Amino acid sequence: MFRENKLEQKKVLPFFCLCLLVFAASVHAEDKKTDYYAPLYAKPLAKSPLKDAVSRVIELPFKIAKWPIDKSLVLTENYRLDKKTLWIYDQLIENGVKPRLDSLDFTGVPAYGAEFDLVRIARQKERFPDFIAKSWVNHGVTSYFQAGGELGAQRIGETGLHVSSIVQYENRRDETFYGIGPDTSRGDSTSFIEEKTKVGAKAGYEFSSSLDVTAQVDYNHTNIKNRGHEGKGDITQIFAGENIPGLHGDAYMDFSIGLDRDTRDSKEDATKGSYQKLLIKFTEGVASSPARYFTYQLDTAKYFQLASPRRILAARLFGEFNQRVNGGNVPFYEMAKLGGSGMFPRQSQTSRAFVYNRFFGESAILLNLEYRYTVWQYKEFKMKTVVFFDEGQVSKDFATFRLNGFRESYGTGLHLSYSQLVLLSFNVAHGREGTQFYLENKLAF
Amino acid sequence: MKMKKTALQGILGLVIGLVAAGTMTFAGEAEKMGEGETTLYKDMFDQAAYSEGMNQLDLGRWGRRITHKTIPSADINIFDEVPDSSFFTNRHARQKMSAAELEKGPHQTDGPDLSKPLTVLGAEQQGSHYGFVVEDAKKDQYILRFDPQGAAELNTAAEVIGARFYHALGYNVPQTTILSFAADQLTAAPDAITCDNTGFAKKLTQTLLQQYLLFVPLPQGTYRASASKVPAGGDAGTFSFMGRGKKNPQDIVNHRDLREIRALGVFAAWLNHHEMLESNTRDAAVTENGKTVLKHYLTDFTNALGAATDGAKEPMFGYEHMVDYGETFKSILGLGFWESPWQKKWKRAGEKTISPAVGYFSNDLFDPAKYKNLLPYEAFRLVTRADGFWAAKSMMSFSDEDIRAMVRAGKYGRSEDEDYIVKTLSERRDIIAKYWFSRVSPLDQFVFSGTELSFKDLAVAYGFVPREGTLYRTEVVSGKKKITVLETAEPVVKLQPEWLAGNSAIKLVIRTLRPSSKKADPSVTVLLNASGVQGIRHED
Repeated sequence: MFRENKLEQKKVLPFFCLCLLVFAASVHAEDKKTDYYAPLYAKPLAKSPLKDAVSRVIELPFKIAKWPIDKSLVLTENYRLDKKTLWIYDQLIENGVKPRLDSLDFTGVPAYGAEFDLVRIARQKERFPDFIAKSWVNHGVTSYFQAGGELGAQRIGETGLHVSSIVQYENRRDETFYGIGPDTSRGDSTSFIEEKTKVGAKAGYEFSSSLDVTAQVDYNHTNIKNRGHEGKGDITQIFAGENIPGLHGDAYMDFSIGLDRDTRDSKEDATKGSYQKLLIKFTEGVASSPARYFTYQLDTAKYFQLASPRRILAARLFGEFNQRVNGGNVPFYEMAKLGGSGMFPRQSQTSRAFVYNRFFGESAILLNLEYRYTVWQYKEFKMKTVVFFDEGQVSKDFATFRLNGFRESYGTGLHLSYSQLVLLSFNVAHGREGTQFYLENKLAF
Repeated sequence: MKMKKTALQGILGLVIGLVAAGTMTFAGEAEKMGEGETTLYKDMFDQAAYSEGMNQLDLGRWGRRITHKTIPSADINIFDEVPDSSFFTNRHARQKMSAAELEKGPHQTDGPDLSKPLTVLGAEQQGSHYGFVVEDAKKDQYILRFDPQGAAELNTAAEVIGARFYHALGYNVPQTTILSFAADQLTAAPDAITCDNTGFAKKLTQTLLQQYLLFVPLPQGTYRASASKVPAGGDAGTFSFMGRGKKNPQDIVNHRDLREIRALGVFAAWLNHHEMLESNTRDAAVTENGKTVLKHYLTDFTNALGAATDGAKEPMFGYEHMVDYGETFKSILGLGFWESPWQKKWKRAGEKTISPAVGYFSNDLFDPAKYKNLLPYEAFRLVTRADGFWAAKSMMSFSDEDIRAMVRAGKYGRSEDEDYIVKTLSERRDIIAKYWFSRVSPLDQFVFSGTELSFKDLAVAYGFVPREGTLYRTEVVSGKKKITVLETAEPVVKLQPEWLAGNSAIKLVIRTLRPSSKKADPSVTVLLNASGVQGIRHED
């Protein structure tokens, strides 16, 4: 055993020595092996500016402006001001107050207001879910005021039947007027104050969430006050000798029936579906008012997806015909109107290369075509580019429409929306009377 | 939606603040050295609006664009490598990590100690569910993040796998593990606070805590979260991908010019981590060798791979910046008929994700040159060919088995999901490496034997190009004089003894010539003297 061990040792010893040699050699080699990750630099690390001196000077004023923005953003996020704001807004809605913000024109003059759901405010919504008791106030700086209320039931006896009564006061302090008919001159401009009080009742039936028929009776009292405009004379001076009905206001009754069908996927920024609104109304002057006419109005739009929800062709057709009855007349302020973007609180229909209320006529026909396509998307945020074309005409009646009476607008714009809720819409339109710009928070249709 | 992440960071900040309050001196040091806080909104404004605008007023930038000049990375050593720093530690690329090490990642503990219920210090709503900051029996703190309903494993796996990869690549990341626990293993601390979507902080009660858990998936009867350990050290805010930390004396080089920061763009493309954001970084003040230093961490990888906040990744992520002026302009001009690659890809995928756990992650129409981070950091745009090569080389150091080891840490319930992630990451690694290797002479591992310099052609070694037909053209330069030009089919340069006589140094400018290309690739310059390789530089 011992011998065997000795023999083993004899064999092992040279092997061990050899190993030592190899190890020593490898250690030596390792020592000499280059450390490719060593902090050896061609030149010492040194501070250096990010930009050249001139660029730094150019940036300086922007840097100064950036500082408070950065601070505000950090503050917003750290104190969760964005979440708090949204929560407060939700709480207002939940408790029956719905704020609104509109823009009157490109100058950004805001129109703002709120709708108050009195049932919610009184904490009675659960007890009376179908009871309607609401009021609203809307105000546009210097030019517009509206206040009203509605009382009724949005569903009677588990049916689609709904009834309500409405009271509304409206004061428009700066309604522009360029005369009646398609060939008026923009230079002949003036403006008037329109003060309207309405008391009415309506009853209807909702067949489904997309189809409703409503009949309505309203008493209207309108005061028209003339005023100068941009240093020019009032209506009686600018349009002296012309027959402008309703120049001093009227009192009249409206009897109307309307059909609403709406299958759009969003009322704000539809990508599919359509809507049709048909209105037949008879207006009868009361007291000494000579107003007496029928109104036939069709407003319809359809949204076509061009092989993708990112490409939408929206087409809208609007037609209005006011037919005088038995020698009655149509007050000028109740006529069909074209011009501007056509958005609340404005009253005239979408004809964007022309100023607001540019055309007045007893009848009007209007075609709006818009091609909307998504150019940017981040989660629920979307930006769309829009190319549009408006073609419209006012006239005395349908028989007097003529080809050269049409006025076209064409233009382009960008819309920013969040989850089909329009946040900002910028449009520029051009036509025979120049170029108009619009900055709003809604789409025309 | 993205807000939710920042919100949790807010709670994290709050909790770290509380911890720091107990160690005021340390926190004071951290504050003194830190760059402050970049929140998500600030980051979005700074990058997507301000910097994009200012770039147009940067004359030097315009000059570089016109003359096709680049800014070389400033922190590389003479061998064209990135030495270890407070940002980066060479790990797998330098010394292969074992499969166990890769799977384990940065390891300080085995994850939260569940011997006693975890104490919830704070909670914050993250979209549809909540995230928690907890403390375990060992007083270690962790951030628990969950998956959204209907997508169990999606974000938690992405978080853990992302942390493993960035760690192995060399970055500082918090220790992150998958944690399974029962509802009764969470207890609200008496002074715990919570912040829901109202934005108002309120007391976190046990009842509220249990309510929050109702929004978390409950596969196999236990909750699954990613537990990210709060790094030790005082919180010093976030760090910038642009300028250096001016209050930190050790921070000398602009971060934009650090190769490891530029390469984050490449690594993010690999991991499909579109939210590589400044607001997802963290600086921690730690004591090393008696000195307080800032250690720079990357955090929050819940949006890596196929995941995004609250569900699968949106199809456009990785293809467009959050606000992408170029792509938007193209879309405007295209009148809606120009289809971007992400739209084509989404269509080709049948508008379907891979699976609830994987989300949306595939290599179809993936182009490494065009991968875009959520925000347009200039550092990611300044990646030079040499930077890209370095990043690609690091990525190629991971074998398919290495990738599997790291993916395993995500603990997918279905082997198909794990296999899919491994396959996609392996393929993407090759696509990215192939791209960067084709833009340089991808030569590495230079060995000088005394008479010859041998090296490895990585493109050949990894099978991206055939060995046949590849030539290596070497210009031998002494001082400013070109001595000779050698052309070999083997990656070896035989040197004449007289070239290195005495202590004279020579410069070898080596270029690869591929049979498929008429032009020689950009060069690699090797500085050599009798004692060995003195410097390596890949052409930028």
